[in-house]
Amino acid sequence: MHVHCSMKCLTDLEMRSPRTLEVWRLGTVNYLKSLKIQDKLVSERKAHQIPDTLLSLQHPPTYTLGKRRTDHNLLIPQSELTKIGAELHYTQRGGDITFHGPHQAILYPIISLRGIGYGARNYVETLERSMIEFASMYGVKARPGNKCETGVWVGDRKIGAIGVRISSGITSHGLAFNIDPDMKYFEHIVPCGIADKEVTSLKRETDDLLPSEEVVHEQLITCFAKAFSYDDVVWKEDPAVILDTKDNE
Amino acid sequence: LEGLKYANSHEWVKHEGSVATIGITAHAQEHLGEVVFVELPEENTSVSKEKNFGAVESVKATSEILSPISGEVIEVNKKLTESPGLINSSPYEDGWMIKVKPSSPAELESLMGPKEYTKFCEDEDAAH
Repeated sequence: MHVHCSMKCLTDLEMRSPRTLEVWRLGTVNYLKSLKIQDKLVSERKAHQIPDTLLSLQHPPTYTLGKRRTDHNLLIPQSELTKIGAELHYTQRGGDITFHGPHQAILYPIISLRGIGYGARNYVETLERSMIEFASMYGVKARPGNKCETGVWVGDRKIGAIGVRISSGITSHGLAFNIDPDMKYFEHIVPCGIADKEVTSLKRETDDLLPSEEVVHEQLITCFAKAFSYDDVVWKEDPAVILDTKDNE
Repeated sequence: LEGLKYANSHEWVKHEGSVATIGITAHAQEHLGEVVFVELPEENTSVSKEKNFGAVESVKATSEILSPISGEVIEVNKKLTESPGLINSSPYEDGWMIKVKPSSPAELESLMGPKEYTKFCEDEDAAH
């Protein structure tokens, strides 16, 4: 059970030295591939081979379920999914059913919660804060969810979702923020298992003109880095390095 | 709580005769938030010290639980399927997770006692 730990041999040194976040911007990545990349990074982070790492990406149309396998919240038969151009995946993250697709910004932080002394609750709250801060850049007043409604909301409309996994104190999966996805895909699910609330997007909520997606993603990443008090952000240039996980299938 | 031993990953063990009961501490459940789902192993499987044996979900985060000792799972708390919140309301009693037949009772010696664990939590909370 990870709560937060002071690994006595590392505490002082780790606490006071500058904290670096390495960011990989990966473009559109197939869901299963992103799981493989994350598994590899989690092992490397656990073995102190890499610093805290953040993946910024999008998925092709994909529905995902969490550990609770709440597939009753998928409202169309699985056989229909290929017709609408979507995949379905069961995962080890917390949370209910959700949709990922183009024009939705996804962040997968692979970070050591021990390094920052956070438990699950603090971590999720800080992810929410990152998204709220980001929304405010466009004049959108977002708020964290009520009890049992983790995520980020504008009024009664959900704009950002969270589903996280913590394994030996290392995080994987993360958050998804709707920039301008095709909202029709959300009609085929009970999003996050919450039946009577709408899903929304930055495009719908702001009057501001949205800059290019690259800029938008960079802003979201910066809000994340700030919320988690990183001293340095290193932007990794060559995504091929990380995308070239040995695909032996 | 007296009579319990603690791991630094915030699980507790109560050793009575040939059976050890395992759960997570009050400190752990507080830092998790409300537990909505618990995943436990099957009976007759084995657990290993410091290896994960299950997971709890709260606030959309699934967190792995590590076993403080090694042994064979002889009983699993089925009430947790219907009432995962027992972990929050009664972490040391009704919220117990698994009962294990320890394979190396000596492992219990390296765990913390109540006073040590209390201090451990205080140190952690103070450091952050």
